[in-house]
Amino acid sequence: MKLYHLKHVPWLDSQLLYHAMPRVGLEGILILAPAEPYVCIGFHQDLMQDVDVAYCQEHDIPIFRREVGGGAVYLDGNQIFYQIVVHKDNPIAHGDKARFYERLLQPVAEAYDDLGVPARYRPINDIITTAGRKISGNGAATIGDYVILVGNLIADFDYESMAHVLRVPDEKFRDKIFKSMRQNLTTLKRETGRMPEWDEMTKPLLARFEKVLGPLEPAALPHAVREKAKALKPLFLSEEWLHKKGRRRPGRDVKIAAGVNVIQRLHKAPGGLLRATIEVKGDRLTSVSLSGDFFAYPEEAISKLESALSGASLEQVESIATDFYGHGGIETPGVTTEDWLKVLVG
Amino acid sequence: MTTIDKFEFPDELYYTKEHIWARVEGNVATIGISQFGAELAGEIVYVEIPMVGREVKQGEPFMSMESGKWVGRVKAPISGKIVEANEEIEWESTLVNEDPYGQGWLAKIEMADASQLDSVLRADSKEFAAMIAADREKYDK
Repeated sequence: MKLYHLKHVPWLDSQLLYHAMPRVGLEGILILAPAEPYVCIGFHQDLMQDVDVAYCQEHDIPIFRREVGGGAVYLDGNQIFYQIVVHKDNPIAHGDKARFYERLLQPVAEAYDDLGVPARYRPINDIITTAGRKISGNGAATIGDYVILVGNLIADFDYESMAHVLRVPDEKFRDKIFKSMRQNLTTLKRETGRMPEWDEMTKPLLARFEKVLGPLEPAALPHAVREKAKALKPLFLSEEWLHKKGRRRPGRDVKIAAGVNVIQRLHKAPGGLLRATIEVKGDRLTSVSLSGDFFAYPEEAISKLESALSGASLEQVESIATDFYGHGGIETPGVTTEDWLKVLVG
Repeated sequence: MTTIDKFEFPDELYYTKEHIWARVEGNVATIGISQFGAELAGEIVYVEIPMVGREVKQGEPFMSMESGKWVGRVKAPISGKIVEANEEIEWESTLVNEDPYGQGWLAKIEMADASQLDSVLRADSKEFAAMIAADREKYDK
C-alpha cells in the first residue's frame, strides 16, 4: 500500500485529502497533522447545537464537517493522524465493522505500547490505557466504493480549547466537560511526562500498520488527489454544508469517551423547572448536579439528594429518589420522584 | 419468506446488492434496509432521513445512517421522488435494527419508471442466494 507521509499540512488539507482519495479511486494511508488548529464536526452533527460558533469565530478557529461519524473535536498539530483508505473489496475491509476497527486499531494500541504507554483496543473503536483512559479518537465512513478509517496518536491535547469550542448550556456544564475530559482522556505527554517527537511516534505506528496492511511504500501524493481536494473545497466550506441539518436532541449530551457522557437534561415539572447536569460512566452516575426554579425545603435537601445519587447505578435512581421523600421532612411541592427520574435517567 | 440461516427475506420484496429492500404498492415503493443489511450496519444510532419532494436516482446515495462512529450511505433502489420519509426513525433509530421490514422502513419513493426494478433481485432467486452467500463470507456473518 502507498504511504503518503505528509507531516504538517494546512488544516484544510488534513481533511480534504482523505475525502478526495476515494473520489479519484485511490487506496493508501496518509500520515499527517494540521499545521493550524480547527474544529471538526461529525457528519450527522448539528453545528449550532454542538459548537460554540461565536467563540470559534472570535478566536479564528475554522470549522469543518467531515463525512465521518462521531462528535465535535478540537484538532491541532500535537495529534498525528492516520487516514486509511481501502476499496471495499480489499480483504482489509472484509469482516463486519467491529472486525474492521479491530484489525486497524490493534496496531495503534501496539504502537502506544512501543511508545511506553500500555494500551489496548476496546470495541468498537477505542484505544484505552490500562487505567481505562481513552488515548485515541477514531471514526469511519463508506464513501462510494471505499472504506475509510481516520484516527490519531495524541502527543498532547488542549483540553481547555476543546471545552471552549463546544456549545454548552452554562459554564458549570463546561467545567464538568473539562474535568471529565481530564479524567477520561489522556495523552502521551501526560502518560510519559515528556513530549514525543514526530518520528519517534510514527516509526512504531507504521511498523505496526505494516504487519496488517503489508509493506508501506512511501510515495508522493498524486496530483489528481490534490486537484480533487481543491475541487471539493467550495462544497466543504459552504455554509449549506456546514449548517446541514443534523441530529437534534433535547438537552445536551457530550460524549467524552466510550461509555462516558456529560449530560444536561431539563424537565418542566408542575412545581418548576428541573435541571440535572450529570456525568454517566457506563451504567453509573459519577457526578450529579441539580438545580432549577423549584422550591425545596429544607434548602440543603437537594445537596443531600445529589450526594446520594453520585456513584449510584441508573437502576438505583428510582429507589434513591423514593427514599429521599420516604424519611419525611422534605418538601418539593409539585416535584415528585417521577420528575427526578425524567431528568436523571431520561 | 426466504430464510438463510438466521436472516429472513420476505419474498414479495425486491433487494439491491447494498441490502436495500423495496415493497411496491401502485406506483410507490416503500424502501428499507434488510435484516441482513441491518446486521452488517450494527447498532444504528442515527438515520438522516431525506426531504420529501427530493428527486432520487437509482444507485445513487440519498440518505445516510451512523453506527459506531461509522457513516454509511443508502443508495436508492429506484429513481423517483420522495413522497414520505419515516420521521420516527430519526428519533428512534433502533427501529431499523429491530423491525427492518416494518416500523424501521426508511422512505417512500414515487417511482419514475417501475421497470427499473427488473434489475433488482428477488429473495427466491439463485442470484440472490449467491449474493448473500458471498457477503456472508466477506463479512463473517
